[in-house]
Amino acid sequence: MTPLHKELADAVVAMDEERAVAAARQVVAQGLDPYLAITEGLSAGMRKVGELYDTGEYFVPEILICSDAMNAAIAVLKPHIKADAMRKPVKVLLGVIEGDIHDIGKNIVKILLDAAGYEVIDLGRNVKVERFVDAARAAGGGIIGLSSLMSTTLENMGRVVSGLKEAGLREEFRVMIGGASASARFAAEIGADGFGRNAKEAVELADRLSRTLPCAQTR
Amino acid sequence: MRADAMSPKERFAAFLAGKPMDRFLCVPLILNHAARANGVKIGEYNRNGRLMGQCHAGAWRRYGHDLIAIFSDTAILAEAMGTGLGYLEDDVPLVERPAVPSPGDMGRLITAQAHTLGRLPLFIEAVRTAVAAVGAEVPVSCCVPAPFTTAACLRGTDQFARDLIRNRVLAKRLLALSTVTACDFADDILDAGGIPVIVDPVATGSVLSLRMFEEFAVPYLRELHAVIARRGCPVVLHICGQTSRILDAMVETNANLLSLDDISMAEARDRVGGRVGLMGNVRPAQTLLKGSPEEVAREVRALCEIGRGCPRGFILGSGCEVPIATPSRNIDAMMSAVREYGGLK
Repeated sequence: MTPLHKELADAVVAMDEERAVAAARQVVAQGLDPYLAITEGLSAGMRKVGELYDTGEYFVPEILICSDAMNAAIAVLKPHIKADAMRKPVKVLLGVIEGDIHDIGKNIVKILLDAAGYEVIDLGRNVKVERFVDAARAAGGGIIGLSSLMSTTLENMGRVVSGLKEAGLREEFRVMIGGASASARFAAEIGADGFGRNAKEAVELADRLSRTLPCAQTR
Repeated sequence: MRADAMSPKERFAAFLAGKPMDRFLCVPLILNHAARANGVKIGEYNRNGRLMGQCHAGAWRRYGHDLIAIFSDTAILAEAMGTGLGYLEDDVPLVERPAVPSPGDMGRLITAQAHTLGRLPLFIEAVRTAVAAVGAEVPVSCCVPAPFTTAACLRGTDQFARDLIRNRVLAKRLLALSTVTACDFADDILDAGGIPVIVDPVATGSVLSLRMFEEFAVPYLRELHAVIARRGCPVVLHICGQTSRILDAMVETNANLLSLDDISMAEARDRVGGRVGLMGNVRPAQTLLKGSPEEVAREVRALCEIGRGCPRGFILGSGCEVPIATPSRNIDAMMSAVREYGGLK
């Protein structure tokens, strides 16, 4: 990690948007690799943020501000990245299942998956089963992350898995579930590929699952 | 199975007075499930006060639980103050248009007499309807969204979470205004013969640090709780999710009874059971919705054992709302199990 990468990471952890943007501008001014600045600097910072969340030092407000700082710096760097310099990221379709409106957890998972280099397609909250399947068809392959806080909606998660099967898309996707009312047992019951207890576990799970994807979709 | 020797109302009065009871009070939080139990669509239930009251009276006749809890969703105060909700045919409404998407919108917030606006009068009608129908036998309560939760619905939860760090002045203005509406609404519920139950799902330890809970939730809860206590009513505070981190601070809000969700009840008893009554926490999803009646009974039995060691009292409850689609047999199993294992001799 170069000093400038460290500065980017530290600025994200410190929730300091101005510092992050200033460091990003330095990267551009010095003609350094903007893509590396994201992966080695900003993402490293967000990984640390994920750890602080996991250990109960950072909570939702802190994570949101850290991610704002990261995104402000990315906005400075992105125009300078050559298109072919970026590896093709694994797509993650993320959404809160129909019947539930609690999306804070999903948003944290989105932030951390973004930071870990995934291309997150956020379908929002109260997402119908059919919309997950349609979005899966459009994406072609990757990971589907289903979240539900409320227990009333668990059945709908199972319907996404069967919907994928019916559409002949099950092999192209790995399905992970999360949320307070879900469990590993329930994931197995509905034929999902894994359960993440929290946002950090969700990212680790996505990393594990993406290695099992058909090779055309892996990074 | 032992038969009940007291009515819910008698049992509740005995609990509050610290007098002997035949068994633990049993309060599965039957909220929107009251509509389902009566074959009524949620979207109809939550926009018709009389129907709401009738559904709760009907659900009580069906299950015989010890407290009626009238509720639709936790955005009702924010809605009265200007937040737009989206209604669904057979599910709870969603926050769609927060009243204060940017700080400049503060002026558009409705604050004067907010407790007479939106759907709030419907809830008062629901309380009156349920009290008239079955109030002689069972106490009737109505949920009051706490200031933190209301402020989050006014601003949009993500934005409000950012405000706690970036715009604390705005956050506190929203909290203060939300507190005024909540206090007025609690007063209205008491006037109608109901018990206000304070619910603060957004201010959970799953979302907030203890420090932030102490700064942004506790002072406003205290103010609201004081209004209820002044009327001689016990103060019940429900916070869902993980509450281990904020448990002691919840006691500092001067609640008389804490309704808890995702926490070990034995831990809660050992830490705060000497200062406050405890209620909970049969798991709503894993056990009530997905489990078998035997699993429900097992969990009830274990909780009753813990409850007997609570110096300030214990009420057997569900950790959070009884899921709408919960099979009736599991609620029946909860009631039967408390008669079997919840004796207090």
